[in-house]
Amino acid sequence: MIFTSFNFLIFFPLLLIFYFITPFRFRWLTLLCASYFFYLNIKPIFALITIGVTISTYIFTRLIDNVKDDSQKKRLMVINIILILLPLFFFKYYSNINNGIIGLLESFSIRWPLPDIKLFLPIGISFYTFMAIGYTVDVYNEEIEAEKNLGILALFISFFPLILSGPIERAKNMLPQFREQKKFDYNVAAQGFKLMLWGYFLKLVVADRVGIYVDAIYNNIGQHNGTTLLFASLLYPFQVYADLGGYSLIAIGTAKVLGINVMFNFNRPFFSTSIAEFWRRWHISLITWLTDYVYTPLAFHFRTLRIWGIVLALMITFFISGIWHGANLTFIVWGLMQGFFLSLEALTSNTKTKIEDKFKLKEKSLYILVSCIITYVIFASSQILGRATSINDAFTVFRKIATSSGHLFIGELQQLVYGVLAVGFLIVIEFRQEFFTKNQDPLKFNKWYFEHLGYALLVILILLVGVFDGSQFIYFQF
Amino acid sequence: MEKLDIIEKLATIFRTVFKKESLIITEDLTANDVEGWDSLTHMLLIAEIENVFSIKFKLKELNKMKNVGDMVAIISSKL
Repeated sequence: MIFTSFNFLIFFPLLLIFYFITPFRFRWLTLLCASYFFYLNIKPIFALITIGVTISTYIFTRLIDNVKDDSQKKRLMVINIILILLPLFFFKYYSNINNGIIGLLESFSIRWPLPDIKLFLPIGISFYTFMAIGYTVDVYNEEIEAEKNLGILALFISFFPLILSGPIERAKNMLPQFREQKKFDYNVAAQGFKLMLWGYFLKLVVADRVGIYVDAIYNNIGQHNGTTLLFASLLYPFQVYADLGGYSLIAIGTAKVLGINVMFNFNRPFFSTSIAEFWRRWHISLITWLTDYVYTPLAFHFRTLRIWGIVLALMITFFISGIWHGANLTFIVWGLMQGFFLSLEALTSNTKTKIEDKFKLKEKSLYILVSCIITYVIFASSQILGRATSINDAFTVFRKIATSSGHLFIGELQQLVYGVLAVGFLIVIEFRQEFFTKNQDPLKFNKWYFEHLGYALLVILILLVGVFDGSQFIYFQF
Repeated sequence: MEKLDIIEKLATIFRTVFKKESLIITEDLTANDVEGWDSLTHMLLIAEIENVFSIKFKLKELNKMKNVGDMVAIISSKL
């Protein structure tokens, strides 16, 4: 089941009724059953992997808590991490490795008939595997005690709002909440529904409308000129943002209605004035996860190399992030590009701060605006690699943008107008949030009737302009 | 070494790493209070502390440092 399916519109209200009439002691059980029902609805066989990851993590974390010797604890942690990563590696990279071997053998004129299995990636596997890894490391680090109730741990790993695409939550935040006794709170639930609505708007109106145009251009790179490719490439980050950001808000809102607080995944990233700031505001749950469990151990290991140790750790972290997004050259180059820009900033930050302080640049709105635009353009150009299907395509896009111009391809005028207006609306709302209301609630007004009117209009906009063709979320493929 | 001596030594390190002469170090100080104290500069800070105090941290201890007070406690346990 996915958030944009009709089934979810039936499932969620029914769950709310069941959930709030269940006695406090058994609420976790209701949620666990609901979560597995939600997940089984996609492809039942995939749940076996989730169960495997849960049981392995349960056993190893209990063992970590029970042995005394630190090196033994460490060994147990490493074994569990490897065990639960195996299915992820297998499903994600099997065909890559297979094709690689076949290609290599063929280049030596050997034809070796390896079975060419097209595997479906079990949806959400990356996200719950990451949560389980984080939990294992936290238990090893004595940040939390190993959970003794297998059911609660199973709920943490399979919690339905998060299982398909995150936010990648931490056990420390989630486990205690599954035990808290919370009565239904109208205001909290209303807040949750508001976030869900804004999430649906982002996904169905912004992401999917923009997506129609971007797909039309990127599926036909050869046919389009530089102007059109530039325009589509500048739009694409908004599609990704509205897609994953919208998904995340629906997830956060859903959990909130149930009385469970989940971390925010985005913090208006396009108002960042540097790449470093951008990565503190973009896909926050993944970045903080990578920071805690990949970057920090690496940087710690290389710390005697000082700034170059940090550069090395950054490059490796983003290389891993790139490979995770996809085992293609495009994503590897994408990851290295992020690492490169971040390292460049780290190396020049002292000089930059000095100049900014001297001319009081940080108070000047023009400087802020230009910095935001530069950051956006750098990110958008790296996203060309995220969107193009091959490294050759990506280079074609770069080359055409630099060399060819001409008229902008319009296609269906209505699609383009809807897409651009939706992006404009999003920018206006976020501008107001960023500089004025500073509130997570996108349509925050002092007068309650303005707020109600705003959300009523939002519903109408979703129904009128939303794309209801059952399209997938971009991050389901990861 | 007394707690105050450790804090005084730390203050010098902090001022060099974050390039802020006026920085005042208290036990409750956290990364949120200091501009430029992020995951990148944190490791420079750690390496510098290890160097000045001639100690070695464990990764596990790093995770336990939530503010300067925690840092002081861990440093003093190693002296």
